[in-house]
Amino acid sequence: MIEILLKFIEIIVFPGFIFIGLLSLFYEWIDRKFYAKLQNRVGPLYAGPHGILQPLADFIKLLSKEDIVPEAADKILFTMMPIIFFSLSLLITLNLPITSIHGIISFKGDLIFLVAMLTIISIVVYVSGEVSTSRFATIGAERAILQLLGYEIPFMLSLISIAISSNSITLSEIVLAQKNIWYIFTPNIIAFIIFLITGQAELERIPFDIPEAEQEIVAGWIVEYSGKKLALFRFGRDIETLFIAGLGATLFLGGPLGPVIPGLETLLYTIYFIIKSIFILLILTTIRAIFARLRIDQVLSISWKYFIPLSLIQLLIVRVIY
Amino acid sequence: MGFIIPIGPQHPVHPEPLLMKFNVEGEKVVGVDINISYTHRGIEKAMEYRTYLQGIYLAERICGICNAAHTTCYCQNIEQLLGKEPPPRGNYLRLINEEMGRIHSHLLWLGLAAHQIGFDTFFMYVWRDREKVLDLIELMTGNRVITSYNTIGGVRRDITPTIIEKIRKNLDFLEKRTKYYKKLVNEEPTVLMRTQNVGILKPSEAVNLYAVGPVLRASGIKHDIRADDPYGVHDEVPFNVITYDTCDVYARILVRIDEVLESINMIRYCLDHLPSGSFKLRMPIIIRPPKGESISRVEAPRGELLHYVISDGGIKPYRYKVRTPTLANIPATAKMLTSRGDYEVYIADIPIIFGSIDPCICCTGRVLFIDIEKNRRWIWGYDELVRYSNKRFERHD
Repeated sequence: MIEILLKFIEIIVFPGFIFIGLLSLFYEWIDRKFYAKLQNRVGPLYAGPHGILQPLADFIKLLSKEDIVPEAADKILFTMMPIIFFSLSLLITLNLPITSIHGIISFKGDLIFLVAMLTIISIVVYVSGEVSTSRFATIGAERAILQLLGYEIPFMLSLISIAISSNSITLSEIVLAQKNIWYIFTPNIIAFIIFLITGQAELERIPFDIPEAEQEIVAGWIVEYSGKKLALFRFGRDIETLFIAGLGATLFLGGPLGPVIPGLETLLYTIYFIIKSIFILLILTTIRAIFARLRIDQVLSISWKYFIPLSLIQLLIVRVIY
Repeated sequence: MGFIIPIGPQHPVHPEPLLMKFNVEGEKVVGVDINISYTHRGIEKAMEYRTYLQGIYLAERICGICNAAHTTCYCQNIEQLLGKEPPPRGNYLRLINEEMGRIHSHLLWLGLAAHQIGFDTFFMYVWRDREKVLDLIELMTGNRVITSYNTIGGVRRDITPTIIEKIRKNLDFLEKRTKYYKKLVNEEPTVLMRTQNVGILKPSEAVNLYAVGPVLRASGIKHDIRADDPYGVHDEVPFNVITYDTCDVYARILVRIDEVLESINMIRYCLDHLPSGSFKLRMPIIIRPPKGESISRVEAPRGELLHYVISDGGIKPYRYKVRTPTLANIPATAKMLTSRGDYEVYIADIPIIFGSIDPCICCTGRVLFIDIEKNRRWIWGYDELVRYSNKRFERHD
């Protein structure tokens, strides 16, 4: 009985839904604040100390806004898509090893499951754009799929490089394999760079925010969503950001591992995880600040001309070494 | 017709009302239809109901950013009618104000261009530094944007040695920053990818479609009213006409950045050679020019600006006509926005190509009538428009 209760608390409170939700809002605050600092602005300031509650305030505000469904949209899919998007992001984040080397959901071969879920998220994006029947949304949805063709293969290849190095496709074993040396300090460095760039594309942030390019197609696939649905999409995107940062920390920075004091493992592991993933997040934010948006054809050509050959070279190197 | 994408009348990067309907195939733009007649503000008609002195403030409000150019043009026009010339010091101050307006306008545009290609950090930095020139304009004229500086027969305020000192200091800062931005534009790979070979306008096309200003100069045509038909003291102040010959958006960015540097040097020259004496002619309170007509041309930040006035000897102009640079650039924009042969335009290029002419729609509204059912299009000439507007005006008065 107690065990079931503990498991329940683990899933709902810590390190489950509530913890992940709050952490992702915190990451959004870090992202916005750091982005603002890089641009010589102040960023969120009023809600809470240094504006730390601003993402939560935005979320609550969006929840209270009017929810408009376009006349011509497919009502059922239009309503379902934000929920699916949100729950998929939450689901993949539960796989991350935060408090121990195992995530809340942990099974053999979960790396492959995560990659599959990430692709399904892109397809959800496509469907959400397509069912809202706006011209801008249609173009945004097409761009999302085109971009998927560009970044997904190098993204997977960078994960495969890690899988070959650790001889495993399970996150917990990959973490354990980094007990002595993190993969970022091994020849996996190319894979790390490719992971960061393609992760940025997965999150649709500058220079890869092509599917929702504000200046070109207003907000792209998300343009018709408002109120609660938009809130769910944005929250889902925050959680996905946490996931990409956390996955980077898990695969390349040794996950939650670090020097521990006996008895305080859970707390220290969590702190290490947060520090490492914030490091990845700051890199992602810097990328967002220092580039202009690329064009969709440029993304595809860069990806196929440079990233995929580089990833293959990386695989060769890793195969020879390990 | 294929898949139509409407950009405007409301759109995040073009807050001004104009509608562009793009015919697209996938990401490629194959046709464009530009409708600019959303803002008919009736300024020309309103001019006919104001005295010459009141007209300055109306001319100033044709366009907020190039207000210095508009008032210079207006005042020159009336001075030509009156047959008078402002004193040299007034002319020099006018030029300083005009060139500061140019710096302000070009820096603002540079930030917007960066925003249009999604480079928000650049946008924030440029707009932060633009504050310096706004401070200078405020220091010199008393206002930040709408300066109310020029008046018929000179300018309304003098400058003091302290202000000159401050202007020099801020100009040094601006020069340093502008040079840095030029370096950044030349070196940042994503900026180059998004601007090179985008929005091509060949020199022959630019001339045939009557493009003006930086757009024309970026196509390699050496044309600048300040050099070709000098007004004020532009024949005394040396400067280079900047041209680039790559004919794309990249060239337009560089032309504007270099013009900012030229303007800084021109202001420095003016401060060094500022003549002493009066800065304003003494004019009667009621200005009553003799019967006649006059044309005045000014190189506004966006290109050649033309004002035309007919006087019937009264205290109000009989007719006032303004031709703004954006209107002159619209046909060239339509050319730039259409794919032809090897040259392809993508949806992603639309904002930056349209933005590269530095559009100012609020001074561009025109009337063209199209009857789709009868397939008839006609343009109202002067007489019909006057008749129609008189009728409307009386009904609403």
